[in-house]
Amino acid sequence: MSSGIDAADVEEIQQSDSGPATQECPDAMAAPSGLPRGARARKAGLYTAVVLCLAVSVVHVILVFLHVAPANTVSRRYSPLINAWVYPFFEQNWRLFAPDPESVNRKILARTAHTGSGGSVQVSPWFDLTAVDRSAVEHQVFPSHTAQNMLRRAWAGYVDSHGGDDESRTERALMMQKYLSNIAADRVAAHNGGTFDFVQLRVVTVSVAAPGTRVGSRPSTPVESRLLPWWKVTRHAK
Amino acid sequence: MRSEAQTTALSGTDRWLLGRITAAWGLLTGRPVSLYAVSVLRIGYGLLYLIFLLREFPHRDEIWGPGSPWTPALAHQLFEQTGWFSILALSDSRTYFELCYGLALVTSALFMLGWRTRVMSVLFAVVVTSFHGRAIFMTDGGDNLILLMALYLVLTACGRRWSLDARRYRLKAVRAGNTTEPTRSLFAQQLRDARTTLITVVHNCGMFVIAAQVCFLYGSAGLYKVQGASWGSGTAFHYVLNLELFRPWPALSHFVDEHTLLVAIAGYLTVLLQVAFPFVLFGRLKYPVLTMLLGMHIGIAVLMGLPLFSGAMIVADAVFLPDRFYTFLPHLCRRAARRTGSRRPAPGRAAGSGTVPAQGGPGALGPKQRVVLPAGRKDTTLATEPPSARVPPKTS
Repeated sequence: MSSGIDAADVEEIQQSDSGPATQECPDAMAAPSGLPRGARARKAGLYTAVVLCLAVSVVHVILVFLHVAPANTVSRRYSPLINAWVYPFFEQNWRLFAPDPESVNRKILARTAHTGSGGSVQVSPWFDLTAVDRSAVEHQVFPSHTAQNMLRRAWAGYVDSHGGDDESRTERALMMQKYLSNIAADRVAAHNGGTFDFVQLRVVTVSVAAPGTRVGSRPSTPVESRLLPWWKVTRHAK
Repeated sequence: MRSEAQTTALSGTDRWLLGRITAAWGLLTGRPVSLYAVSVLRIGYGLLYLIFLLREFPHRDEIWGPGSPWTPALAHQLFEQTGWFSILALSDSRTYFELCYGLALVTSALFMLGWRTRVMSVLFAVVVTSFHGRAIFMTDGGDNLILLMALYLVLTACGRRWSLDARRYRLKAVRAGNTTEPTRSLFAQQLRDARTTLITVVHNCGMFVIAAQVCFLYGSAGLYKVQGASWGSGTAFHYVLNLELFRPWPALSHFVDEHTLLVAIAGYLTVLLQVAFPFVLFGRLKYPVLTMLLGMHIGIAVLMGLPLFSGAMIVADAVFLPDRFYTFLPHLCRRAARRTGSRRPAPGRAAGSGTVPAQGGPGALGPKQRVVLPAGRKDTTLATEPPSARVPPKTS
C-alpha cells in the first residue's frame, strides 16, 4: 500500500466482506459461533444504523422529487409532509427559463419627494434604477448579484405578494414593500445624495420583439407602465 | 450448514433476490464510492464560493451586511417565519459582520484545500447556509445548488483525495514505515470497524442523494421546459438573449440571436439533454452528453454573465465521472505535457510528471480494485460506469 488512505480503504473492504455473510444468515451466525452478547448487540445496532441511513436517504430523495416535480395528485395529497421536510433548507426550484423564458424587460424608475421647511414639496425627476444595473452588467465577466438579482428579485417578490394592486395585505407583502422601498431609497441617495421623505416607483414593462422583427426597425412598445404609491422612507430622511 | 440447505431449497427468484440484496449491501457498506468525484465537488464548490465572496467584496455590506436594504430586522422577521438559521442574524454590528465574512473566506479556502475536511465541511455548510439565508432575495439557481451541495457534502468523505488531509495521512504512513500497529483490544477493534462501516454508509447515501439531486434538477428543468410553447417553437433562446440583465456582451448576444436556425437547434438540444440526462448516466452515452452540457454551461456563463451558476452546474456534473476517469487524468496531463515538452522541453514535463505520484491514485488503485470486486460484484454504482465502458473518448 502506498498510502494510509488506501490502507484504510482495504480495512473497510475487509469489514464489508463479513457484512453480506452475516446478513444472509443471521441466526446461523449467532448460534453456533457463540458471539458474545455485546458484539451481537453492536452488530444489531450497526445494522439498524445502516438501514436507517438508507431509509432517510430514500425518503429524502422521494420528498425532494415530489417537491420539484410539477404539482400532481401525490404531491398535493402529501403536501404538508413534503413541505415540513423540504422547507426551509432544501427548498429548490429548477424552472430555469421554463415553461417559457420571460419575454419582457422591466425598467424600474424612482423619484423622491422632500418636504421643505415651508411645507412646500419638492419632487425629484425620475431616476432609472435598472439602467444602472444594466450598465453594471455590461462588459462584465462576472456581474454582481446586486446588479442581476437584487432589484429584479425584489420586484418579483413584490408582485408575488401583492398581485395587481399595491395594498400590502399580508405580513410578507409589507416586508417586500419595505425591501423594495429601501433599495430604491438607498440607490437614489447614493446617486443624488441629499435627504428625502418619500419615494415613488414606476415600473415600465417592455416586451421583447418576436423573432424575425429586426431590432431597431420597430420601436418596442411599452406594454405596461405601473405607477406605485408614494412610500414614506426613514432611512434617508434628515 | 442450515443456511446452505435453506439456500438450495429456495426458489430461483428468491435466490436471485437474496443475491441482489447481498450485492446491494456490499455496495452500500463495502467502500466509499467515487472518492475522486466527491473531492472534485469539494474543491469546486469551495473555490466557487471563495470566488463569489471575493467578487462581492465591494458589495458585501449591501448583500449580507447590516447596511443591506434587506435590513437585519427584515431578515429576523423572515427567519422567524421560515425557521432558517444564520450566524449573521446573531448580531447587527458591523464588526461582527466583517468577522463572519472573514470566517467565510477562510472556511471556503480551507474546505477547498481539504484541511480537517469533516470539520471544515460542517463549517462550510454553516457559512453557506448563513450567507444564503441572509440574502435570500438575491439568490439564483446557482446559489441554491451550492447550498444544497454544501449540506450534502457534510455527509461525504470528501477529503480522501487531492486534499491536505490525504497528504498528511500519506506522510504519516511513510513516517510510520514498517512499525507494526499496536495491538488493540477486540472491543476497540470492533468499535473502529463499526465506525468505518458507518462512515462508508453515510458517505454512500450522501453520494446517492447528490446524484439523485442532480438528476432531479435536470429532469425537472427539462420537464417544465417541455410545457413551454417557446421551447417547442424554438424561439426560447431568442427571448433569453434579449434579457437586458443577462446580456453582458450585447454584440455577441445580438450576433447569436441573428442565427435563427442555431437558436432553434440550441433550444431543442437543451430540452432533450435535460430530459435525457437521468437516463444516459449508466452507459457510455454519458460522455458525449456531459461534454455537451459542459459546452452549454460555458455558453451560459459567457453569453448570459452567469459564471457562478454555470460553475455550480459544471461541478455538479463532475459527480458522474468515475474514479477511473480521474485517475486517468494525470496520465492525460503527462501525455499533454510530453507533447508540449517535445516543443518546449523541461519545465512542462517536470511539472506534469511531478503531480502524478503525489496523488497516489493510479498506482494504488490496481490492488484495491482487485480486493473490491468480490464484494462489489457487478456494481453499477452511482458514479461508476459499467465495467465495459472505457475512459474518455478523446484519449488518442
